Amino acid sequence: MNHKKISVFDIVNNTVLLIISLFCVYPFLYVLFLALSDGTYLAKGEVTFLPKGLNLEAFRYIITNPRLNVFTGLSNSFIYTFLGTAAAVITTYITAYVLSRSRFKHRFWIMSLFVITWVFEAGIIPQYIVYNAFGMVDNPAVMIIPGAISSQFLIITKTFLDGIPKELEEAAFVDGANDWVIMTRVYMPLCTTLFATIGAFYAISIWNQYLLPQIYLKNEQLQTIQQVLKSVVITDSTSGTTFQNVIQNGITLNQQNLKSAAVFTAMLPLVCLYPFVQKYFKKGILLGSVKG
Amino acid sequence: MPAILASRVSNPAGKKSLFQRIKKDLSRNYILYLLIVPGFLNLLFFKIGPVGAMVIAFQDYSAALGILGSHWVGVDNFVRIFHDPYMITLVENTIILAILSIVIIFPIPIIFSLFLNEVRAKWVRGTAQSLSLLPYFISAAVMVSIAYTILSPGGGIVNNLINNFGGQSVNFMAKPEWFRPIYVILDIWQNTGYSAIIYIAAIMNIDPALYEAAEVDGATRWGKMMNITLPGISTSIVVMLIISVGNIFTVNLDRILLMYNPSVYSTADVIQSYVYRIAFQSKGFPDYSYGTAVNIIKSVIAFILVVSVNKLASKYADSKLF
Repeated sequence: MNHKKISVFDIVNNTVLLIISLFCVYPFLYVLFLALSDGTYLAKGEVTFLPKGLNLEAFRYIITNPRLNVFTGLSNSFIYTFLGTAAAVITTYITAYVLSRSRFKHRFWIMSLFVITWVFEAGIIPQYIVYNAFGMVDNPAVMIIPGAISSQFLIITKTFLDGIPKELEEAAFVDGANDWVIMTRVYMPLCTTLFATIGAFYAISIWNQYLLPQIYLKNEQLQTIQQVLKSVVITDSTSGTTFQNVIQNGITLNQQNLKSAAVFTAMLPLVCLYPFVQKYFKKGILLGSVKG
Repeated sequence: MPAILASRVSNPAGKKSLFQRIKKDLSRNYILYLLIVPGFLNLLFFKIGPVGAMVIAFQDYSAALGILGSHWVGVDNFVRIFHDPYMITLVENTIILAILSIVIIFPIPIIFSLFLNEVRAKWVRGTAQSLSLLPYFISAAVMVSIAYTILSPGGGIVNNLINNFGGQSVNFMAKPEWFRPIYVILDIWQNTGYSAIIYIAAIMNIDPALYEAAEVDGATRWGKMMNITLPGISTSIVVMLIISVGNIFTVNLDRILLMYNPSVYSTADVIQSYVYRIAFQSKGFPDYSYGTAVNIIKSVIAFILVVSVNKLASKYADSKLF
């Protein structure tokens, strides 16, 4: 890397990569532009790179119209994600703590079972029969309890705890601490980055879940924003019945405005969070990829 | 002195009875036993339980009778699979999607990361990495909804362009021949940034001395890329290839279930979506046993694939998955 002069290759390469990156985010921007535009311009096909007739009426309409369930879906998803992430981080940490103690004789076979059931998935039907037996159908707990431990993040957490020097634990024992104190006071402060990493991954996977709620949460009042999106945007595109043009506060909203607003609303929380948790994502991906 | 340290100093192993040993273990580690309870119950109920329930593949399962009360029918359900003419379409669709993934999708993040590695301006590198990774975290429902919006025959940007050039609007999501291209493009869009992170990490591990030596010998940037960087990440490439071959039968089910509709079943229906429909969308009585049997066959073939491909790869590279 001695010669620092900028060559033609550099310019072309940088430009191409920036264009590719733009292509990656353009679809997201496009739905945002559609949602922010006035429906009359949309109908003429005039919205491509910037919103036209800027307004927020589409967002207001889809959130305040109870028939569309967008607000219910959003608040359900927030609640499931919040509780589910809290439960998952706590359970995963506690379980990994026990399984990384060499004093705990049963750690090997329990860990093996976590790995085996991870590699060899039972499939959705046997899962349904068992979850149904535990009363998980039309029960919000299905979004929180079964996924409270993901074997992948359990392995990551256990590997991390294995790396903490044994002397720390022994010193704490000498000072009269028990396992509970060691787990909560000695080890926990060392794990803040780890918690942020697995917490971010758990939160995103719960927020993005589609198949699980689609199978178990049939009651409309319990549905997640992803399910609402399916019925409002996708099912409607094939049947086309939900939306007529709406005129609100002097602005025409057509079905494209409203669908785009719904799509953007569903991804907004993630996009807002992304810049802050991005570094943890990269860490998590590399940790996960080590184990395959 | 706490009991734990005392035991490490002197432990007359084997002298005590089993009962005494268990008692000592419990008195010393009872907190660990209490702490493992939630994790163990989760494992037992929600991870091992469903594996146990797979026995319904050998039954004529009826929800009213339960697993214990249903009739055992041996391998009848498995025999039925081989007489099901629709299976051929399903397997074909599944394998074509997998081959497309390997041939078209697989090389893209490698090329992307090779060129990203040549970028010297930090902000370009950072921007490209952040923006390309973003779609990985967006849900299948949002991605497919965006595809519907962009491709919509009623004013989506693609059809607007087609109309501007004098063409007729195409209803892409209802055309069987468009299902695979759209699926593949969504996959590239969603996963390129993610896979590139793994390759970039591998590139970072290449010994810088190799590049310095090559510069002394007058190597060009292209030469360094092809002769140092690419061979340097070959192990990662092989490992990733093994994973994708092993995952031939693992499609993105969320994406397919959101994208497909009866008019594109001929190309879009795969084994898992068929199993899903048998169980959760059947008009009559859901055939849980048959669906489970289909899924077991799929899992067994997938498992054999992973193991054999791994053996094959270890012959050629120093990389092993398990």
